[in-house]
Amino acid sequence: MAVRRSIDHFLPLSAPMLHTLLALADGEKHGYAIIKEIARRTDDDVRLSAGTLYTLVKRALADGLIVESADRPDPALDDERRRYYRLTALGRSVAQADVARLEAIVEMAHAKKLRPRRA
Amino acid sequence: MAEAPNRHSAGSRIFRSLLRLLPFDFRVEHGREMEQVFRAQRQGARDDGTVRAVARLWLDTVRDLITTAPRQHAAILRQDITYALRALRRTPGFTAAAVLALAIGISGTASIFTIINAFLFRPLPVERPQELVSIATLGDHHVEIPHGVSFRDLQDYAALEDVFAGLLGYQPDGAWLDPGGDGAERTIVEALTDNGFTLLGVRPAAGRLFTPADARTPVVVLSHDYWRTRFGGDASIVGRTVRLNGEVFTVIGVTDERFAGLQSLMRVSAFLPVSAIEFFRKDRSFGPDWFENRGYHELNIIGRLRPGVAIEQARAALATKVRVLAEQYPATNKNTRLLVVPETSARPLPQNGPMFHVAAAVLALLAGLLLCITSANIANMLLARAASRGREIGLRAALGARRGRIVRQLFTESVVLASFGSAGAVLLAMLAASAMERGLASLTFDVPLRVDFGVDWRVVGATVAVALAAGVIAGLAPALYAWRADVNSLLKTGGQREGSERGRLRSLLVLSQIATSIVLLVVGGLFVKTLDRARNTDLGFRSDRVLTARVDLSVAAYDDTRRRAFYRETIERVTNITGVRMAAWISALPFGYEQGVTALAPEGEAPSVGGQDHLSWSVSVTPEYFALANLVPGAGRPFDAGDAADAPLVVIVNEALAGRLWPGQRALGRRIRLNNGSLVEVVGVVKTGRYVFLWEAPRAMLFRPLAQDTPASATLEVWTAHSPMDVAGEVRTTLRAIDPMVPVYRMNSMANYLEQGQAFLLFRIAALLTGIFGSLGLLLASIGLYGVVAYDVSLRTREIGVRLALGALRADILREVMERSARLAIPGAVVGIALAATLAWGLRTLLMGVSPFDPATYGFTALVLLLVSLLASFVPARHAATASPLDALRAE
Repeated sequence: MAVRRSIDHFLPLSAPMLHTLLALADGEKHGYAIIKEIARRTDDDVRLSAGTLYTLVKRALADGLIVESADRPDPALDDERRRYYRLTALGRSVAQADVARLEAIVEMAHAKKLRPRRA
Repeated sequence: MAEAPNRHSAGSRIFRSLLRLLPFDFRVEHGREMEQVFRAQRQGARDDGTVRAVARLWLDTVRDLITTAPRQHAAILRQDITYALRALRRTPGFTAAAVLALAIGISGTASIFTIINAFLFRPLPVERPQELVSIATLGDHHVEIPHGVSFRDLQDYAALEDVFAGLLGYQPDGAWLDPGGDGAERTIVEALTDNGFTLLGVRPAAGRLFTPADARTPVVVLSHDYWRTRFGGDASIVGRTVRLNGEVFTVIGVTDERFAGLQSLMRVSAFLPVSAIEFFRKDRSFGPDWFENRGYHELNIIGRLRPGVAIEQARAALATKVRVLAEQYPATNKNTRLLVVPETSARPLPQNGPMFHVAAAVLALLAGLLLCITSANIANMLLARAASRGREIGLRAALGARRGRIVRQLFTESVVLASFGSAGAVLLAMLAASAMERGLASLTFDVPLRVDFGVDWRVVGATVAVALAAGVIAGLAPALYAWRADVNSLLKTGGQREGSERGRLRSLLVLSQIATSIVLLVVGGLFVKTLDRARNTDLGFRSDRVLTARVDLSVAAYDDTRRRAFYRETIERVTNITGVRMAAWISALPFGYEQGVTALAPEGEAPSVGGQDHLSWSVSVTPEYFALANLVPGAGRPFDAGDAADAPLVVIVNEALAGRLWPGQRALGRRIRLNNGSLVEVVGVVKTGRYVFLWEAPRAMLFRPLAQDTPASATLEVWTAHSPMDVAGEVRTTLRAIDPMVPVYRMNSMANYLEQGQAFLLFRIAALLTGIFGSLGLLLASIGLYGVVAYDVSLRTREIGVRLALGALRADILREVMERSARLAIPGAVVGIALAATLAWGLRTLLMGVSPFDPATYGFTALVLLLVSLLASFVPARHAATASPLDALRAE
């Protein structure tokens, strides 16, 4: 059962959790698509395994950050056993709040001239 | 290109079996998706084309599942426990009752285990204790319990180097230890063969320990405990001297803290080499042939098996050796058999190891029965609770909770209860352990006892294991109920309708509790009766209004003449004390550990020194003893003042000895050759008493005049007109006045001595423990009965209300409820009596002739149970009958 709790309660998000929410930010996806999206965006730095992903999915579902989507693509295009997940309004707010938190940190780092050297 | 289908399914199969690591719910929820993901990933890796990519995927996947699975399980467990705690908090009365019942029931097991652990499981604190075995002599028909080995035999056994890394001999002995001129104190020392410390691997805390190089020198090693309490742990003690039995011994070291000696009953203060025993026992019946004569079975033996050698190999090797020795030395070794057991099985002392095992098994059985009652009790309570929570369970099931999940939740609740119960049980066991330690310490022994009933990890571990088992067993019933329950009817009725099947199960549980508690009560009753029988046994000597006190003249270094004078003078002076009727000396009290056997032969037969053909127990007494002990010779005369040191040597025999030496003939006037070669004439025959165990077969006993066989240490018996302890102070003063150097110890009434010693102590412990188990069983069973009847009544509140409203008589309601409980109690009692009779028949040898079917015990037990069950059901029955019909109707 999704319990609506204050957004701060969820912060900070773990990196895999934030990645998962981010992966769903631009539309619903099934599990493997989430993994691939994360791997692609991070240049293969973050590669989730099935166990880790579904641990995250289970928690996010329980917390009401995501829901299982009822809409399915055309069955011809997709394996019908696949389940799709969609970000909830709460999930979106939580992800935004975490990103804002990170931005604040990055700004602080800039102000202190603590910047990574990029190759 | 499509992959080969068989390879596909092989990989999937492996992945699917890996998924089994995850909790069932997780698997049901996400397993199929995870498999899809894995398959897609594997396809991706293959498309990559490298074996490495595939291998890496597998590695990542396995690692991932192995780390995910425990976390998921823990999360579910945490959730279940949180839920269980919340549910239990909502019903504090139930929770408290269940935890208390569990704590009481499990504490029985925990306490018994504490005792068994202290003696049997805790290894000796030496190197590789699991290699140690105890070797004892059996098959000597004069000493029916396992006992020691002679020094010569020990050396022959030690020659079996294929199986033994070494053998050591030891012998605990009472001794007077004078640490530094301010008076000797009675302590226990352990004489140990010279190789002992090396073989055990004991290290010194100060100085050094003795080795074969110290043979036959008067050196002593202090125990750590004695060193700390007596010398404050001062290391400069090494090199100083102490006096043992008046002889000077040099302290060469102190043992390490953990090693407290080889026997687990008495506190050892010092160790000395066995080869130095001649200095130490100079004044006593100890000759130079002690090391040569194979008839002296005095050394306890511990052997260390060679690594990899099984105890059976050692037994076989020893058996061969025993046969060889029997042929070589038939006089002493003809009937020898050996008992070879792991060292832990030879405790508290090698002598009573086997008996201790029987006692431990009986107690463990009783504790197990108590545990059964507890489990049945908790099962019943949980069942009632599950039923009254029917609506909640139905609701959860309707909301989609899996049946397995609900069952698991109920299990978790009972296991959580059991965990609390086990914590309570450990607490109760600790209390019981300290009570036992206090009880032992209160026994009047002349030496300090050392029994460490500490609750260690073994006790806690065993208790928790037992508690969890009890929790799981008790949880089965409600879990089964939830498993079978029909959601619809649960939601409709809230589970408040007693299904006939479940009703039967609950009744069966109560019935079995009653039956089991009858078994415990009957066994307890039989042992109480046995104790009573034991106390009323004709011991063959006077035991009421008798004071006893022991002296040791060896400390004062008396010769025989002075000893005789001392014994004579004390009798004269003690007899003059007001309130004293008579006084006498005996070298060793019956049921004590100073008694000994002596070899003898009827005149004309060749004496077999140390042989087993004619061994008899033997004591020396002053002439007054026979009148004092009320032991009038049936033939001949008692000793008198004429049987002096220089008079012809005489003895009095008991009927058992007379019958053995001259079967069917007159013993009076015949002569016996003793093992020192002297001929003695039988002047009297007395009836056979009990000397070592209450249950012994008639035992041969020889009485010698104290003047003709004068011991260095003896016990004074004082027969008094009133309470014996009234004259204790004056007797002590009198003895001290005669010679202040002579230590007087073990002053006690004979009645107390028998109660606290070998005579009755075991019977008292048996009666106490079985009595406690019986009472606890009864308590738990009556709680169980009460619970069922009360629950029954609560289910029928409405019905009873309707009937009362319609004019039913309260008395009828009351009777009806009582009848229901009688229907449980009576069959339970019948089954219990049958079971109790079976068990009692098995225990009959321990009952001292009390019939295992003793009608009084059974009748009394049945009566007690009847009364208790009436009471247990009367309370709820009255509640039902006195309820106002309106309230009863409103209750629904």
